[in-house]
Amino acid sequence: MSSQFLDRIAEDVPSLRTAFITAMPDCLLFASWQTKESEVDVEEVAAYFGDLVRSNRQGLKALKTWSSEMQVTIESADSLIILRELNADFVLGTIFERSAPLGMVRLHLKRMVERVTAQLPKVTIAERPRGARILEFLERYAPDPHAILLRISLRTGITPEEFQTPEKLSAEQIVRLEEAACKLLGLKQLNL
Amino acid sequence: MDRLNPLRSVLTGHDLTFLAGVPFVYHCHHYNLFHDQTLDDALGEELGAQVRFRAARSACSELLRALGSVLGASTPPERAELASLLLPWMGHGRIALSTSNTGGEATGTHLHYGFSWREKYGERVRREAPADSFAAGFAAAACEFIEGLPGGEIVATEDQCIALRDPGCHFTLRRTGRAETSAPVVDLAATEGLVGATLEGLDEARIAAIAAGLRDFVKGVAGDERGVIAAFGVFVTMHLSNYYNETIYEAIHHVERSQPALLPVAETLFREAGVQCVFNTFGNMLLSPEWEGLVGAPSGDPFELLSSCCAIARGLGFGHWILHEYDPGKRLVLRAPVDYEVPFYLRRYGRSGKPRCYVLQGAALAMAVLAHQVRWRESPRLTEEFYLSLFRGKVAWAAEQTLCPTRGDACCEVVVSAR
Repeated sequence: MSSQFLDRIAEDVPSLRTAFITAMPDCLLFASWQTKESEVDVEEVAAYFGDLVRSNRQGLKALKTWSSEMQVTIESADSLIILRELNADFVLGTIFERSAPLGMVRLHLKRMVERVTAQLPKVTIAERPRGARILEFLERYAPDPHAILLRISLRTGITPEEFQTPEKLSAEQIVRLEEAACKLLGLKQLNL
Repeated sequence: MDRLNPLRSVLTGHDLTFLAGVPFVYHCHHYNLFHDQTLDDALGEELGAQVRFRAARSACSELLRALGSVLGASTPPERAELASLLLPWMGHGRIALSTSNTGGEATGTHLHYGFSWREKYGERVRREAPADSFAAGFAAAACEFIEGLPGGEIVATEDQCIALRDPGCHFTLRRTGRAETSAPVVDLAATEGLVGATLEGLDEARIAAIAAGLRDFVKGVAGDERGVIAAFGVFVTMHLSNYYNETIYEAIHHVERSQPALLPVAETLFREAGVQCVFNTFGNMLLSPEWEGLVGAPSGDPFELLSSCCAIARGLGFGHWILHEYDPGKRLVLRAPVDYEVPFYLRRYGRSGKPRCYVLQGAALAMAVLAHQVRWRESPRLTEEFYLSLFRGKVAWAAEQTLCPTRGDACCEVVVSAR
């Protein structure tokens, strides 16, 4: 996805170092912007903070206090990080300089949210194949990620070549893949 | 240790090491965990645990009986003392045995596999099956040894394991009354009959001198009060080659029979264990103060690094590895008359139609990568992130085993070429 629309919105915001939009529920980077000085691996950051928002969302729902306006603020040593749910499908993440006044940051963020929300594409996000989502989940969380495709292949009997086109895996192969993934990760089920 | 150390021997010209005639090598927890994990991937948790247990019981039984014979441990209390001394000395943790001629129980602390699995992976994933099949095999073999029972009659079940977040490890030992059919023994005498002439390669004098120094050094290495050898940033074990070899080849043969299309996958994973070994154990040895004291800090010259790795391999009992050819930055040819895998394969299975030295293949690849892609003078930290940066995705070097004594060749040869 082109990040040009985010560039236009973010570049004039004072004290803003990085902005990224994470597509939910897969926590994949949708668009990003950062200053020249910033050296953030935005794909990684988008994935981790997407997970955080998902956990936060589920926790708040369990507490029956969730609302669609949910916002997470993290104050670290040199950054002020704010994660804001735009809608069910997108989360806006912003990283400001720590010295920026919180009131100004909130004001700028409010304006950013309005402009970003207005420019998000009006498309229905297609459900990605479950096999692909399971494999991505494994690559992110399983031990020895560099070997995970081979390990899961040996466990399921599905060849690495078949994993190259996960959308073609049969329902029975998906069941085997999911069972093996649960076993490797020590989970009862995968909530993907 | 005073009683056990004199029982070490080296097969001259082949750098294979033995304790009371039983073959052993040194491997770290990264290798051991990856090895066991691959067995479970290939066989499933249940069959994997069975294969590991049987191989451990068989290999430990050979060692205990050989030691008992040489040291004159003829009464049950003497044998029990020997068994309780041996496991921590080898760096596998401590085990307290309570045995009778019908079985008994054992309690373990800091057992190598469960302890190191929890240290490496415990915060990241939850484990569903106990980790200490090797210790289970040892406990069963020790029970048979102490009680004077035929080999293979005791089975051990690990019903508590620290890798499962239990407070400790516990095993129940039960006598089945059915002795297991014994397989051909792979010991010093059998190995001597299976190896040919030795070889010499590039930088031979330096490699031989360092290897001799390393062998002297490791003689002083033994488990601490926990039975753990924490050295070079890893947990090191003195381990039985027959355990590794039986488990690898049983798993490989199982895949050959049951899912031949996935054989290359299984072979790649067993090679990967060799890569992990060289990156973690060899790499951390090269960066250690002990290495600096013995040899000097690595200069960063790839040839020197390759030469050092051959010396480490020899010092750890992997075999008489030589640098047969080296074309800087382009090609490396690693040879050995045999490695520690070959005698086992020949003795247990006979000739093979294909090369079978999986550890050697992975190690050769990792040596080329470490020699050419690591800035040794900057004292890098050999972290998981660094490992992934070198070995995830397309690796800059490719290794192929071109000669193997298991298929009748005169020696082992792995050719590593830059892609």
